[in-house]
Amino acid sequence: MDRRNFIKLTAITGTSVTLASCGNPENQLIRFVPDDDITPGIAEWKPSVCPVCQAGCAVTVRVMDADVDTVRNGQAGVVAMAVAKKLEGQPKDPISQGGLCARGQASIQITYHPDRLTQPMKRTGARGTGEFQPLTWDAAIAELVGKLDALAAAGDQKSLVWLARPRASRRAALASTFLTGFGAPAPVEYEFFNDHVLRSANLISFGREQLPTIDIARSRIVIGFGADLLGTWNSPVAQSAAYGRMRQGQPQVRGKLVQVEPRMSLTGANADEWVPAKPGTEGVLALGLAHVILANKLRPGDSGRSGAAIDGWSGGLQDYAPAQVEKITGVAAKRIERLARELVEFHPAVAVIAGAPLAHTNGLFNALAVNALNGLLGAVEQPGGVFFTPGAPKSAATRVRPDTLTTAKVLLLDDANPLFAMPAAMQVREALSKIPFIASFGSFIDDSSAFADLILPDHSFLESWVDVQPESGSIEAVSTSAGPVMKPLYQTRATADVLIEIAGKLKTPVTLPWKTAEDVSKSAASAGAATPAAPSAISHQPSAIKYAEPAFAGDAAQFPFHFLPYASQAFGDGSTAHLPWLQELPDPITSAMWSSWVELNPQTAERLNIAQGDLVDVTSPAGVVRAPAMIFPGIAPDVVAMPVGQGHEQFTRYASKRGVNPIAILAPQVVAEANTLAWAATRVRIARAGDADGSLIMFAGEMRERPQEGETR
Amino acid sequence: MHKWGLAVDLDRCTGCGSCVTACHAENNIPTVGPEQAGRGRAMHWLRVERYWEGDFPDVQLKFRPVMCQQCDAAPCEPVCPTYASHHTAEGLNAQVYNRCIGTRYCANACPYNTRYFDFFNPSWPKPLHLQLNPDVSVREVGVMEKCTFCVQRINGAQIEAKAAKRELKDGDIKTACQQGCPAQALVFGDLNDPESEVSRLSKSPRGTKLLEDVGTLPKVTYLQRQTQA
Amino acid sequence: MSDASTSRLSDDLLRPLLQTTWQFYALVAFLASIVLMGLGTWGYQMYNGFGVSGINNPIYWAFYITNFVFWIGISHAGTLISAILRLVNAGWRRPVTRCAEVITAFALMIGAMFPIIHLGRPWLFFWLVPYPSSRMIWPNFRSPLVWDFFAITTYLTGSLLFLFLPMIPDFALVRDKSSGIRRRIYGTLALGWRGTSKQWHRLESAMSIMAIAIIPVAVSVHTIVSFDFSMAPVPMWHSTMFGPYFVAGAIFSGIAGLIIAMAGLRKFLHLEEYLHPIHFQNLGKLLLMMSLLWGYFVFAERLTTWYGNEPYEIAVLRVTQKGSFAPLYWTMVVCNFVIPVIVLSLKKLRTIGGCVFVSFGVCIGMWLERFLIVVPSLGHKYLPYSWGTYRPRPVEIMITISTFAAMGLLYTLFAKFVPIISIWEMRAGEHPAPALMPSAMKEHALGETHA
Ligand SMILES: Nc1nc2c(c(=O)[nH]1)N[C@H]1C(S)=C(S)[C@@H](COP(=O)(O)OP(=O)(O)OC[C@H]3O[C@@H](n4cnc5c(=O)[nH]c(N)nc54)[C@H](O)[C@@H]3O)O[C@H]1N2
Ligand code: SF4
Ligand code: SF4
Ligand code: SF4
Ligand code: SF4
Ligand code: SF4
Repeated sequence: MDRRNFIKLTAITGTSVTLASCGNPENQLIRFVPDDDITPGIAEWKPSVCPVCQAGCAVTVRVMDADVDTVRNGQAGVVAMAVAKKLEGQPKDPISQGGLCARGQASIQITYHPDRLTQPMKRTGARGTGEFQPLTWDAAIAELVGKLDALAAAGDQKSLVWLARPRASRRAALASTFLTGFGAPAPVEYEFFNDHVLRSANLISFGREQLPTIDIARSRIVIGFGADLLGTWNSPVAQSAAYGRMRQGQPQVRGKLVQVEPRMSLTGANADEWVPAKPGTEGVLALGLAHVILANKLRPGDSGRSGAAIDGWSGGLQDYAPAQVEKITGVAAKRIERLARELVEFHPAVAVIAGAPLAHTNGLFNALAVNALNGLLGAVEQPGGVFFTPGAPKSAATRVRPDTLTTAKVLLLDDANPLFAMPAAMQVREALSKIPFIASFGSFIDDSSAFADLILPDHSFLESWVDVQPESGSIEAVSTSAGPVMKPLYQTRATADVLIEIAGKLKTPVTLPWKTAEDVSKSAASAGAATPAAPSAISHQPSAIKYAEPAFAGDAAQFPFHFLPYASQAFGDGSTAHLPWLQELPDPITSAMWSSWVELNPQTAERLNIAQGDLVDVTSPAGVVRAPAMIFPGIAPDVVAMPVGQGHEQFTRYASKRGVNPIAILAPQVVAEANTLAWAATRVRIARAGDADGSLIMFAGEMRERPQEGETR
Repeated sequence: MHKWGLAVDLDRCTGCGSCVTACHAENNIPTVGPEQAGRGRAMHWLRVERYWEGDFPDVQLKFRPVMCQQCDAAPCEPVCPTYASHHTAEGLNAQVYNRCIGTRYCANACPYNTRYFDFFNPSWPKPLHLQLNPDVSVREVGVMEKCTFCVQRINGAQIEAKAAKRELKDGDIKTACQQGCPAQALVFGDLNDPESEVSRLSKSPRGTKLLEDVGTLPKVTYLQRQTQA
Repeated sequence: MSDASTSRLSDDLLRPLLQTTWQFYALVAFLASIVLMGLGTWGYQMYNGFGVSGINNPIYWAFYITNFVFWIGISHAGTLISAILRLVNAGWRRPVTRCAEVITAFALMIGAMFPIIHLGRPWLFFWLVPYPSSRMIWPNFRSPLVWDFFAITTYLTGSLLFLFLPMIPDFALVRDKSSGIRRRIYGTLALGWRGTSKQWHRLESAMSIMAIAIIPVAVSVHTIVSFDFSMAPVPMWHSTMFGPYFVAGAIFSGIAGLIIAMAGLRKFLHLEEYLHPIHFQNLGKLLLMMSLLWGYFVFAERLTTWYGNEPYEIAVLRVTQKGSFAPLYWTMVVCNFVIPVIVLSLKKLRTIGGCVFVSFGVCIGMWLERFLIVVPSLGHKYLPYSWGTYRPRPVEIMITISTFAAMGLLYTLFAKFVPIISIWEMRAGEHPAPALMPSAMKEHALGETHA
């Protein structure tokens, strides 16, 4: 026994007696020897990675000493240990570049959340009720191993399903190696706001099944098609940093930002020009711009394979003359002409598409059209254009299929919340209730893990080995891995370690190339950031695609409005709705806090005599939600929008039963040739359902700087 | 003698709100919860003001992060009966929480409404309290609080420089909001140092002061957003 | 002198002191219970945090400060009536002065509570007070709140003296008419008054000094109260006319308060023979004058703001006149101007009932005036993004109500233990006795022309 342990023991025996005598119930034990070698009052900085989104910003964590009520060696007590205090962006990281988004700033509250699970849990109540009781790790692991062995015995390994949130980390590699070894299908990735369509399009246009990195900083004009570059899409911190440099970074030059979208996103709010085109016609607008350029020979016409993917490209896109395009998109022909000329004039220029335009039934066309425009603008792998981060590892994961959940006999949830993030019409609740055994590795009881039979809580990211090889956000390859910045607060275990232990405990053990979670993360260096992968030869050159009208669920007569769910700045897809800082963060556009709301164009609201805060019913062919109205000048009269993120049935004291979930009422429309949910393809009708009930909480008093008469509150 | 100032480049600022959360994290600012937030008690030392301009389809949204402007002629100071709100030698408007008796007069006098009152004792359900910054005091019910220009960082950096027997360099001090800002829209520094970035920016032709006509002599400079030619 | 009338006079005026009815106990119990509820509510607010009130960001002042200004305003009744009328020696003042001076004392005490009640940390109120602390930390003498402290304490001391001096002869009277412990108490209060002409002359000079001194104090007090607002760069607070505007308003509401008090005394203490319609009519004329003056101030303020068209002020003006505060605003105008001018300028309406009716209106109107000065401006300062609205919550409503109960309670108790009408002054009024009485007691032509 080493010296420190010896002192600890004496300290334990010594103090437990004295404390018992002065009867202090909660802490039977005080450690005089700190857990960590840290000087009280002196801050240290340790590296880590923001876990919240795929962007994978590297962070540096301020660590200081604190007295923590915790359990050590099975004994409760107060321990002086090093704890994380503040996250900052890692200045040397090409992604975060020293900054962080609000969600990254708040992610430290994941570790310190009062409702975080502290040990393995076993379901006691009915599925969904969220009633659990603790059990030991040995028992928990034994139970899961038992279930897996049973599958194996029945030769039914295929029906083990691993459902995870997409991650640009080695965790994905671990999972797929484990699953292949076990004989189960590859891990299934699901995220509501996924970029499948864009990856598929990039594969066709550029031979890269990968998200693009937009060199905003060096481009003189950026035209965005629904891509919330500055808010929620892809790598917002890297993109905002680049945006800052585009605006005021280079002397004498100030880049221009044009945003095409029917509902003003944070990016639209910062654009010099905001173009509310009809939903689902973004691709047509892109080709309209291309037409002007081709017709006037403003640029050499060849745009390689990206052009080839568009029907009629070689013919100069005759069907996309500005007048035509105006009819379809609602954007004035003159404006199209002007924008096209600007795109050529302000070289380098780049177009970027993401979000809603790809979530229409014709999403793939829209993406290919914008890709072709980029080809025409000479923006591919050129300064100020689109790049593809080299060495980003290809994920072995597959996309959710309709039968993914129904065929599962054992479901493992890794940070995925399908019950919240899939439309009710997809029958997730029914599927989950039927699955014989569900285990989750989550740190919280959320909508889906409330259905789990077993929860094996992971460490928080600050307590574990972390790594990331971002798919996008930087022109050069990035790979970050870092060790824990603090000791675990609770009896949790790194999911990687748990998987490795399970692999070994199986009747027919699965051999993994790693011994510990540390090995897994460290293997990042060898795996990620490798040599730039050359553009893969196109598997199949698809027949050149032409514009197909977007199809919508619900006919225009009965359901007159386009329904647009969008990723909220604070919660993204809802995965951070449990963090109090983010619940109270005023929404960047509306200033709402702790709320759900329905965005309505002022004229629309007036027509339906709906006032700010009035309750409205939003009814789609698939269902109805009720939320307060938000009068919103930046949205087309025939569109209503709702932020995604609230409306969790279960998600800690801060998010449970707060607000409503717009995903619930989406019809299960599918993007053609991309088998993914077309979440922007549902129509709705709205009706005033009641007077304001105070559920809309705004931080702003007044949002006009010179309020007109009557507008004063 | 230093004179601390901040430059806010409205042409870089995207309105993302990261600075707001960063300020909460750095300065132990409590969240008040939905009920109190609904009653107008939300505390954001730094708020990002947004104003709609025009109507659909020619509509625009303007962003403006507003924190204590650290006025040189601060209306919040003379009215304070206890000197809890007072001016420091380095030109900061300091707030002595222990001296504050909660008359809220200073907040009325502040033209920018950047002073926030503790209507209740703040609470951090365990273990959220572990995140609290030990360099910043936690305020109790009945006192006024506001942006301090991250004075703990200012003093910390000065002490470090002194210990290392070197001069404070421009950029040694970053406020939490500045450090968090992805777009690098905020620049903090010494206005008395003509070489400092903040001095340079404050002299920019785009530079303006908020409510300059009220005569508060703010030390925050707003670099106006440019419009595209 | 006819002993008959003299004794009848003292009998009438001493009756309340000597015999106690059950109604008295009932009334005291009722008022006291409300006051206790108010104190309890304040305790609740201190215990749970200031947030239980409706105050919010940015409306950091509301009901409490409104009550503060309102009660300090009411306190101007006594000083004006008695001091000014004493100086001009108006005969009709005799039965009125004391009821008036008492209002001053009590209204001040109540009003002075509010700067403490509204504190976030009331238990540290003494940091507003200049006392030699161990670290020699003085309050900030540049702060109008500290000026308030000096102004109010000065005014309170002055008014108490001013109230006490003319009570001395009556205390002596009660002393002579009573026995036992009563006799001892009143004896002490009478300060050994024997009614020698030397004492009369001392009393007279003391009273005229106080009468002169108290007037500038009164004026300064409400001027300083107005500075709490006009010193801050808040739209529509930052005004040069707030001093006189507040003083006029104070006197206005003060007279109204006095009329209500007198009518109450007249009814419950059966003082019909002493408080004649003429008294009410004269006070009514004063009230009419103040109403016109008030109207003039408001007109001047609103016109200059509207005409100057300064955007920040216009925002406040708009919300008060047309926006969410409009109903309150126009109620105020009706109560403070329309009704008083109509009722009081018509002789046949200027009855006791008429005056009392108007006075109630004026009290409501003047309370609203203070509310409308405090709240709309705070809710609409320079940056619209930070605008806000205010809804009172039960806490401040309860505390506000209880202050009116407190006024009633203190007044009832006072009338119970002290002759509410100055007996000796009434006597002096009935029988001018050149030899005995000091010259100041001789009727002044001016005084009677009122009748
Ligand atoms: N004669 C003599 N002199 C001594 C010493 C001695 O032993 N004898 N000891 C010396 C030593 S070791 C020390 S530490 C010093 C201590 O002397 P001081 O620093 O003066 O400390 P105290 O006298 O304990 O407190 C001073 C005042 O601070 C007030 N106070 C309390 N809390 C607060 C607060 O939060 N804010 C503000 N503004 N005021 C507050 C208290 O009410 C008290 O009136 O004295 C030194 N001087
Ligand atoms: S973008 Fe924000 S949430 Fe995503 S990784 Fe970076 S900091 Fe975290
Ligand atoms: S973080 Fe930066 S960009 Fe975002 S709102 Fe604050 S200042 Fe603006
Ligand atoms: S901004 Fe307000 S709080 Fe800050 S110094 Fe100026 S007046 Fe005081
Ligand atoms: S609230 Fe505190 S700081 Fe503000 S004036 Fe009152 S005592 Fe001074
Ligand atoms: S300077 Fe510090 S205190 Fe002030 S707003 Fe920024 S982060 Fe908050």
